Amino acid sequence: MKYEISSKEKRAEVVLWISRVATFLSVFLLFFPQASPTRITSLIGKNVSLFTSAVSYGTLTSEMGRALNRGWLSYFSITILYIGAVLILLGIIAAVVCACTSLGNLRLKKFGMPFGVGGALAAILGLVLVYISYTQVLLTDRPEKVEPSFPGGFFVYAFLILVILITSIITLIMLPKADKNEKFYMEPKFKLFLMFLPFAMLCFVFSYLPLYGWRYAFFDYSAGGTLSADNFVGFKWFTNLFQSEATKADVVRVLRNTLAMSGLGIATSWLPMAFAIFLNEIKVGWFKRIVQTFTTIPNFISWVLVYAIALAIFSTDGFINTAFGGDTNYLMGNHLIWLKMLAWGTWKGIGWSAIIYIAGISGIDQQLYEAATVDGAGRFQKMWHVTVPGLLPTYFVMLLMSVANVLSNGMDQYLVFKNAQNVSTIEVLDLYVYTLGIQNGNIPLSTVIGMVKSVVSVVLLFGANGISKAIRGESIV
Amino acid sequence: MAKTKQEKLDAKAEKQYYRSHKKSHKLSFGDVTFNVIDYVFFGVFTLLCFFPFYFLFINTISNNDLVQRGQITFYPKGINFDNYIAMLNVSDLGNAFLISIARTIIGTIVMVLATAFVGYLVTKKEMWGRKFWYRFLVITMYFNAGTIPWFLNMSMLGLTNNFLAYIIPGIVAPYNIILVKTYIESIPGELEESALIDGAGFFTVWRKIIFPLSKPILATIAIFGAVGHWNSFTDSLILMQNAPELFTLQHRLYIYLNTSSNLAQVMSTGGSAASNAAASMMNQKVLKYTISMVTVIPILVVYPFMNRYFEKGIMLGAVKG
Repeated sequence: MKYEISSKEKRAEVVLWISRVATFLSVFLLFFPQASPTRITSLIGKNVSLFTSAVSYGTLTSEMGRALNRGWLSYFSITILYIGAVLILLGIIAAVVCACTSLGNLRLKKFGMPFGVGGALAAILGLVLVYISYTQVLLTDRPEKVEPSFPGGFFVYAFLILVILITSIITLIMLPKADKNEKFYMEPKFKLFLMFLPFAMLCFVFSYLPLYGWRYAFFDYSAGGTLSADNFVGFKWFTNLFQSEATKADVVRVLRNTLAMSGLGIATSWLPMAFAIFLNEIKVGWFKRIVQTFTTIPNFISWVLVYAIALAIFSTDGFINTAFGGDTNYLMGNHLIWLKMLAWGTWKGIGWSAIIYIAGISGIDQQLYEAATVDGAGRFQKMWHVTVPGLLPTYFVMLLMSVANVLSNGMDQYLVFKNAQNVSTIEVLDLYVYTLGIQNGNIPLSTVIGMVKSVVSVVLLFGANGISKAIRGESIV
Repeated sequence: MAKTKQEKLDAKAEKQYYRSHKKSHKLSFGDVTFNVIDYVFFGVFTLLCFFPFYFLFINTISNNDLVQRGQITFYPKGINFDNYIAMLNVSDLGNAFLISIARTIIGTIVMVLATAFVGYLVTKKEMWGRKFWYRFLVITMYFNAGTIPWFLNMSMLGLTNNFLAYIIPGIVAPYNIILVKTYIESIPGELEESALIDGAGFFTVWRKIIFPLSKPILATIAIFGAVGHWNSFTDSLILMQNAPELFTLQHRLYIYLNTSSNLAQVMSTGGSAASNAAASMMNQKVLKYTISMVTVIPILVVYPFMNRYFEKGIMLGAVKG
């Protein structure tokens, strides 16, 4: 059923590859604000890509409300700009359809090519509209506020779209007429790939694209500002981390909290294993089931709810104070806060973390226990010499994972338990980055800290993986 | 007949033998002490896990004045459900509840369908560049750019103050994809092959054969996905800063818990006259407890049903290799 490729088709294939690459680039650049052909005035946010302009009119106009109200910019020009962006996006989508069908047989190619031509024409119309909008913007009576500028991305897109248009027309002419009786067909490998492609795109957009945000670490950037050669500061924020006394003090404090709490977590990481082993010693079935059921529940509630519970039990008018008298608010203050956080973490997680060990125990060969009994081993000896060694490999993996995650203890728990009195000892790295970047708007510095954290985490993970490979011959990632 | 009777007798004798044997086996003092400590420890710990929920609950169904005076500690007094009925009138809560429900249901369904499909695709050796694409997905589990680049990226995509921000980023879940892939690889390939030979397309094979067969693992990831959606809080906090109508229930609860003093003020932020009236019937403490219960009840209700999938899920995760 493999279809034969004629020599004409083979020659067309070269042109098609040019078209596919151009289409790929035009999709790829959709997400990069610098390549956006729509940034015709400085009133359009510096974080607005062509994709944003086309899908979100609100974001496109978010910074120009004043200009629109005062008539510096006409609604007409912005609407035209928006329609242009939408047209370019739709055109690119049509070009993608064309590029996808071009992987199929002659009939499918012939079917898809008009999409390429049509898409390119729509996108050209879109570019024309963007240009009209630009000429409108140029007419503004307050150029110093509106700052019209012709975006470099315009040329990039004009070029790519022309390439798509020309290659589509050429292939349309080059390809022989398709046999009407021929069925649409595509090789399975491409079919599968095309089915996978949308998900690869999603993965790229949400997991890889944020890495591009690391560039903020090299600029003096504040929300709504610009990234340009003018405020490029190189490694200023990195050195700031070590030179500015205030920042240094903060980072040291936050790191100490992070390492202390992660360290406590690692030091008590054997608790779930002990929990499982001792639970296994309980022979009354219904009791065991009840214990397991109720100790697992806390894992499934959010940290906000844990905090709600903490308030109900430990606040001034909570259970402890009303039942036993007193009016201490155990949640304020930073007395023993690390241990308290550890206790909450254990309360929430131990039953759940124990499940893997409980399953592990049931997987231990019963003959080992019998042999130990014959050899005269008592209950504790069996627990220590049979059960514990049986669970150690699992424990080892868990331990290495928690070492690799030493810098990432998440922010939920610490955010909800944070208050004015304990903030200095509860703030961990993740929470600090959030406070610094989102609440205080210091984007470059928080990006730098996040970067360093990510890199260290990856190094730790691969280090842990290497250790695991060296010792057990198995990788953990 | 006679034989089965004989068997029954045998079984009975055996049981009796073991029982007497057990009795004759004396528990040492150490054993008894250990057992007592073991049972007491687990009993107490189970109570610690259970009591807070119970305490919240009895406080929400008791007489509000008694609650305010701190007189409800171990059992409810003056049982009534007025607080829950009053909750229905607090408009921003009802809204947050709907948002949470919507994101949980839509987000979970979309994620499960996508994961089931992608999990199937990456098992197909014919796929163009399969190894590369699989790694492309999996490697994202081990790094992330950080909160700020993530936030800037989301805003660039127009996903701030937008309900879709709850759904779309969760569609591709690499860890779940690994679970599904491992599971599908354990399904015998003959069924699929014969269907493919019969001329069915990959999508048809997936829909008619693979998807029904992988239901157990899909149930597991659906439960984890749903719990994750329901509990998710930071995305609402960071991404919905200018859209209070899109706050999730967890986020609302967080706001209520942190508004310490003035109840009227709590209510006036986005509350209508009706919700103010409803709230004034409750005192602040009861209000917090009731919202907490409303947030936790869905989890407690579905918990017994999802219980049996836990072990499967966590074990599959452990053997992913």
